[in-house]
This record gives sequence, structure tokens and C-alpha cells, in this order.
Amino acid sequence: MAADDRARIVSARYSRAIGVTVAGVVATWHAGYDLIILARSWRVYDPKALVVAAWAALAAVQVAGAVLVLRSPIGTRTVWALAAAAQAASAMAIAAYPPGGVISDVSWASNTLGWTGVLLFLQRPLGGLVAFLAVNMGVMAARMAYDGTLDEVALARLVTVSYTTAGVQFLFAWLAQQLQRTARQVAAISGQRSESLARSAAQDAVHAERQRRYDYLRTRVAPLLHGLADRRLDPQDEAVRQRAAVEAARMRRLFAETDDAPHPLLHELRACADVAERRAVAVTLLGFGELPPLPREVRRDLAAGPMLALAAARTWARLTVVATAEYVVVSVLADATAVITAEAGGALPLSVVHDEEEQRLWVESRWKPPGSP
Amino acid sequence: MGGEPLEAAGLAVGVVDDHPVVVEGVRTWLERDARARVAHVADTVEGIPENLDVLILDLNLHGRLVLDEVADLASCAQRVITFSQFTEPEMVLAAIEAGACEFVAKNEGRAHLLEAVLSVADDRPYVTPTAAGVLACDRRPEAARLSERERTALLWWFQSMSKRSVARRMGVSVHTVEMYIKRARVKYAQAGRPAPTKADMLARAIEDGLITPEEVVGYRSAAAGR
Repeated sequence: MAADDRARIVSARYSRAIGVTVAGVVATWHAGYDLIILARSWRVYDPKALVVAAWAALAAVQVAGAVLVLRSPIGTRTVWALAAAAQAASAMAIAAYPPGGVISDVSWASNTLGWTGVLLFLQRPLGGLVAFLAVNMGVMAARMAYDGTLDEVALARLVTVSYTTAGVQFLFAWLAQQLQRTARQVAAISGQRSESLARSAAQDAVHAERQRRYDYLRTRVAPLLHGLADRRLDPQDEAVRQRAAVEAARMRRLFAETDDAPHPLLHELRACADVAERRAVAVTLLGFGELPPLPREVRRDLAAGPMLALAAARTWARLTVVATAEYVVVSVLADATAVITAEAGGALPLSVVHDEEEQRLWVESRWKPPGSP
Repeated sequence: MGGEPLEAAGLAVGVVDDHPVVVEGVRTWLERDARARVAHVADTVEGIPENLDVLILDLNLHGRLVLDEVADLASCAQRVITFSQFTEPEMVLAAIEAGACEFVAKNEGRAHLLEAVLSVADDRPYVTPTAAGVLACDRRPEAARLSERERTALLWWFQSMSKRSVARRMGVSVHTVEMYIKRARVKYAQAGRPAPTKADMLARAIEDGLITPEEVVGYRSAAAGR
């Protein structure tokens, strides 16, 4: 997973938690506190039908807003439409207050409206919320002006009320956005760190692999090449040619080891066959049975002996691979006279049959999975 | 005049293949040996004469697999050797199960094809190295139950193509190696749908002492119980 995806997921989780919190605040406020005020001061509102309609309209906007915000990112038009509906409902409620009631025990709508705004503008730039809260204050001031109560004292009270309600709401919205942004950054950083860790582990592995191949070349191939270069080894000598053929096949198998092939053993053996074919040896490769996944060491051990026989082949070779549940067997039959001992296979002892009469060399290496009889 | 016409000598072999060069090649291979002669040549399985001793049939005629035709021919007691360039195990096993007496891969050469024709004409099994490789690693639930030695002989015959080398490695005689291989093949004649060709091979195997009648009877009662 990319760091960006991880950051997005973490950020989405935070925004959901904040959304649930705000929806909870709004619901408690509107269904609890607002209803208590309404019941207590019921007789002073006029007309009463307007109050009921305003309360119900605000409730509807809150439910719609909560559902949309929690379900998916909410569209700009929807936000503003809901915001306008909420403002209208609040204005209706304020219109039904008794004269001088905008800042008093009977006022209920503007605080609820503020929290509704926080909910609606949760995932948007803070400017929208500021405008929304300002309209709220404007409507309150307009009602006071209509009542003729908008004197200096009333204005000062309006400012104070704005600080204690809209200020708190704005602060909440701002903190929520900061929290979300920080969470996203932390997730992205930790994602980048684990990615760079994985990259460096992969680089280490590649480096170790190169080192291993280099060591092999240094200890096995370099002496051969040096010998040929300073004429200590004679290219006409059958033994030298044999050694060169073996090393060439080993190198090809080594390079094929790290290739991404569906059947690595067959792929590596094909690489060995290819080297023999370059010497004009006709190689037939036949395989039967389903090969299990084999560790690199097993593949190396299985190929070691047959590779010697392939390198010794003069004109033809028959390379067979048979896999059953009990064993994996690699065999080479070739027209060769080279003497190969059973120990030449390394970890897996070889079975060698040398038919001198027909000059045929037959070498088999066999691997049994651990735990099989 | 009088007496038998000259071409009546030797086994009557039919060759059905959609490649003329293969037909000509097989004819040349077989007619270098006096024991066999090509009596029928075609590129389809229509109109196969009834008196053929052995039919060499390409498994893929004009782009179509003819396994069903192998079964039809085997049910009419026609001995069939399937001759194909496809050596996928499923293909080899399907041909043998359909009642083909032998499977010879097209890359296996004259000696194996001729040997197969001569053995099959006598209802005796002959297993080519390719078929041996397939049988050695056949581990399907319906596979014939081979003994460890039979399986080893098949595997090593596949690897080395030399029964002498197998005999040396197993520490037995060449004849014993042949016995193992033939017994393994005869066990496959007891598997799958019964066919006259399979019955003939079993009968000859009992005559030759390869298997005992009890082994076959055991198979039949097991099949009846199914």
C-alpha cells in the first residue's frame, strides 16, 4: 500500500470519529436542551406554529446533514442548500420570539444553528463556517433592530454571546481540522518510513546476491581465466575444455537463479542445456509430473551433478525431470566419457552409470521432500 | 504362378496420418524389415480394412484429436498404436485408456516404432521411454497400482533409454527389467473401459506368465462391485 493510501485511510477514520461526535452534540442539543426551553417558555412564542415548524425543519436539516457527512464527502451545493434551509428555519424561530427575546432565556435557535453549521461544514474550508455563523449573528441583530432594542448595551451583549457560542463552535471546528491534518501527516510519514525500510531490505538482498555471485566468479572462474591468459592452461587440453564447459554452465545456472520464472528448476536446467547447445550438443529436455516449489539450495543441489554430465556431453544429451509426491529426479544421459563420482553432486549423492561399451554416461540426482519415506 | 502373392508376407500395417511425409517415412522405416508391410494408407479413420494386424494412427488428424476413434477401433478389436508429437501425460494416458495398445512419440525413432509394431501384433506390450515416463509418475487415484520395482524400471527406462543400463543399476538381468516394464503396462490394460484389445493383451500376458489369472479375476470382481 502506498503512503498516500494509508494516510487517506487514517484521515478518513479521524473525520468519521469527529463527524459522529458533532452529530451527537447536535442531537443532544436540539432534542434535549432546545425542547426544555421550548416547553418552559411555550406561552411567550407567537405564532406557535412557526416555532414548531422551525424546530422540525432544523431537526430535518440536522438528520440529513449527519447522514450525508457520515456516509460520504458531501457536495458543495448540498451543503449550501442545507445551510440556507437551516438559516431560514432559525430565522423563523427568531421571528416568533417575543420582543427583546433574542438574547434571553427564551432564545434557543441560534446556538443549535451554530452546531448545525459545524456539522455541515465539517470537511470544508473554515471560511464557509465563518460566513454561516456571521449570517446567524446578522439575523439576530436584524431582529433586535426590528424590536428597536439594538442599543449599545444590547450590541455588547450580542458580541459577548457570539464569543461564547459561535467562538466555541469555530474553535471546535478548527481543532478538528488540525487533528485530522496531523493524523494524515503522521500516517504518511510512517508509511514512507516503512516503504523505505522495505526498499533498503530489498537492496540489501540484491547486494548479497551480487556478492555471492561475485565470490563464485572470483573463486571458480577467475583462476580459469587467469590460467588461460598467462598460458598456464592450454585451451586444446580436453580437461581444460571440460572445466570451462562446467564453469560456463554453472554461471548460466547461477544467473538464471534470480530470474522470475514459473518453474525455476526447469528454467535453470534450460539455461544449462543452452550452454551445451552452444557447443553443438543436441539436448532433449523432457519433463513429467507436477514440480513442487523448491528452495534455491535444493534446485542448486539437484542441478549440480546433471550439469557435469551436460558439460561433458560430446554430441547429444537427454535431460529428464520427473516429479512425483515422493521425489523430484533430474537425470542426464549423454555420450560422454568423463569420469564423474557420486560425490560430485554435493549435498545430494549422485547415481552414476557409465556404459563404456556404448560410451554413455547416465547421471541421476534425486531429492526427497522432508518427511517422505 | 500359384501360391501366395509376395506382398502377403509380413504383418499388415495401416498408417493413418494427415502428413504425407510421415506416411512415407513410416512406410520406409517398416519396409526395411521383412516382418512388416504397409497394407493401408489414409489421412482419415474412414474405411479402415478389417484385416490389418496393426494400425499406426496419428492422434491429431486435421487439427482434431481422435481419441474417440481410438476407442471405437479398439472396441472392434483393431490393434492401434497411437503415434503423436504430443507427449503430454494426459494425452498418453487417455490413448492407453481408450484401448490403444501402445503410444509412440514421433521423436522416438524407427527402432521403437518397429519394436512396438512387432510386439503389438502378438498382443504383447511394448512401452516406449516416453510412455514409461508418463506411467512412472502417474499418481491419479485411478492409476494402476504398480510395485516399487516396476515404477523404478519405468522411470529408469525413461531416463536412460537402455534396458542394459537399467539392469545394471537395478542389479538384475535385462530380462527381469523387461518383465517389470511389461507387467506395469499390463496392469494398465486392466484399468478403464474394457476393450477386446485389452483383453487380448491380458490373455497373452497370462500365457507368457507375466501375470497370473487370479490377478485378472481379482480386477474383474472389483470392477463388477463398482
